[in-house]
Amino acid sequence: MNFARALGATLRHCLESDPRVIVLGEDIADPYGGAFKVTRGLSTDFPGRVRNTPVSEAAIVGLAGGLALSGFRPIVEIMFGDFLGLAFDQILNHIAKFQAMYAGQVACPVIIRTPSGGGRSYGPTHSQSLEKHFLGIPNLVVAAASLYCWPQDLFDRFLAQELPVLFIEHKLLYPLEMRVPEDGQLGDLPAVMEGSPGFPPALCVAAVPRAECAATVVAYGFAAVMALKVVESLAMEEEIFAELIVPIQLAPFDYAPVLASAARTGALITVEESVGGWAWGTEIALECNRALFGQLRRPPRVVTSERDIIPAARALESEMLINENKIRQAIRETAT
Amino acid sequence: MKPVIVPTTDVNSETGILVQWRAENRSAVRRGQIVAEIETSKAVVEVEAPEDGWLLQAADQGAEVRLQEPIAHIFPDETALAAFAAQAAPRPPQTDNRPPGLRITDKARRLAEQHGLDLAALDRGRLITQKDIEALIAKLRVQTPADLPPPLKAKPGMERVVLVGAGMGAEQALDIMGGEPQRQAVAIIDDNPELWGRTILGVPVIGGADRLAVLHREDAFDSVLIVIGGSVEARAKFRRLCQQRGIPLTGNVIDPTAKLPRDFQIGRGNMICGFCYFGTGTRVGDNNVISAHNSFDHHNVLGCDIATGPGCMTSGRVRIGDRVRMGTGIFIEPDVVIGDDVVIASGAVVVRSIPSGHAVKTKAGSSVVVPRRPGVERTGGQS
Repeated sequence: MNFARALGATLRHCLESDPRVIVLGEDIADPYGGAFKVTRGLSTDFPGRVRNTPVSEAAIVGLAGGLALSGFRPIVEIMFGDFLGLAFDQILNHIAKFQAMYAGQVACPVIIRTPSGGGRSYGPTHSQSLEKHFLGIPNLVVAAASLYCWPQDLFDRFLAQELPVLFIEHKLLYPLEMRVPEDGQLGDLPAVMEGSPGFPPALCVAAVPRAECAATVVAYGFAAVMALKVVESLAMEEEIFAELIVPIQLAPFDYAPVLASAARTGALITVEESVGGWAWGTEIALECNRALFGQLRRPPRVVTSERDIIPAARALESEMLINENKIRQAIRETAT
Repeated sequence: MKPVIVPTTDVNSETGILVQWRAENRSAVRRGQIVAEIETSKAVVEVEAPEDGWLLQAADQGAEVRLQEPIAHIFPDETALAAFAAQAAPRPPQTDNRPPGLRITDKARRLAEQHGLDLAALDRGRLITQKDIEALIAKLRVQTPADLPPPLKAKPGMERVVLVGAGMGAEQALDIMGGEPQRQAVAIIDDNPELWGRTILGVPVIGGADRLAVLHREDAFDSVLIVIGGSVEARAKFRRLCQQRGIPLTGNVIDPTAKLPRDFQIGRGNMICGFCYFGTGTRVGDNNVISAHNSFDHHNVLGCDIATGPGCMTSGRVRIGDRVRMGTGIFIEPDVVIGDDVVIASGAVVVRSIPSGHAVKTKAGSSVVVPRRPGVERTGGQS
């Protein structure tokens, strides 16, 4: 099953199993079913609970905040993650703050889902990975979709907690098949799910037993798909062995699996598609450097896209964004 | 044959649903006739035939189709259609899991192939690496059979040389040595047991490195020439091995067409192929293999265990360290210093010094391959 269908099935499951769930967004109702078709069929099967909204992200998210305060569990779709800017105030100053400002008398558990990322030549305002601007907001969970973890497990977890969640879905994941590890294997590779209590577990995967790996690679979203290919090909073609860790939750972050791995391998590479500087990876690199001071063979390496506006032309876009070659080069230089 | 493509600029959709075929499979269609309806995320699009001909559908009604790929093809006649349909094999189902089998790294596979190993005995539960193959080779080496051929008997007074490496470097060396009156190759050794017992230009491959010390004690040969071109590490390893066992390298094997300076200072165990040029004041260490048409200009200094490809050229006062591996057609500017253990890719133009342990890479694919146009004979750039 591909990721878009798995996500659609997850929303269906949420609507079926929790009567408080309301799904809101621009053009998500049938027949259009959302820009990426994730909600296709839901408005027909759950009339009144899956609703089209006016074209105003501030209004949609504000509405969801009010619904959440009133005991509903709204799940919002923002058509493109680039439009999160229009809802930033609602998220930052309202949804994330209500619980604390009202001394815990209310909670505001809104789930905001949004496609992100480039690779489809949609241009400067439909291709960004803006999640880094939401990292570190107190009382907001930022999570990223992964092919290696069923979305239903994540949404069950989100609905069971009282925190607002921003759920980032890289748009290149939608047509890809889910690949959840089975019996300790992801395809040919040994894989485990690991995490501290309270966090969704991260995928830890390598071509060889973990003790033989010479680098730890941390990546999420579509960058994780690229990193997995690179980790596999570096093992097969060059015998450079790296362990890939794919976390679900970007912030707050569960450092335990990453620190344990980097302590074994002595090298850390973070990979994300956001533009360079003040990135997700810089925070992880700093924490690893602090916790493992003197134990790493080389300084941590943070791989990001270029710090630039994303061009629409496909060739220019692929030059600017991270790609498998840049990841391969970084791992090669850091692991050896 | 002309592909039928869905005319959409809808960047939101990569796929659409083939709602309805409006023209029958394998029927005649006219240019502009509507043959199918595709539903994208934005609209239902009508697809026209791009020209007159016979239509072969490539997707079923109700199926999800990729918008970049043809949904049908149009053929000028029924024969062409039938031929294409017969040839087009059904697509294999796509799965994420590759068939279960041996997982082995490229390095390990190459090593195993070099040694002609049977991989069936290896553990399939994990990725096989170079270390696993090396362990297997070490295990096999213990089981070496004793009935290996002896070295050739040389004419009295000839220097008896054993070549190390039964690859094509051995043939090159034998070709150059064939004309020498004072020296004769009597045997070849190689660590690949598959090659043992074979002969190269009449010289037998008599076993692996273990046999070298034994035969030297038995006074079955006088000196060694290392003819491995592919790996400078292997060249260095065998030179050290010979040094430790007190086995001398032979003088130098130099093709008569090479031009050497009067004041040439050169060590031992070098092989220099045809048409090489060494400028005045140039010094060369031990155990280097220099391919044809290399030119080292005046006052160069070459280290040991170097291997070059054909057509490498240096300018004056260039220094090249130990264990340097050079590809084909390399140019090096004056006064450049190449450190030890450097690898230089074919076609590189080296304009500054390279520190030890570095690789010089070039941008691959500077030439473009296009189908030849009939009648175009010129080799000029724009043809």
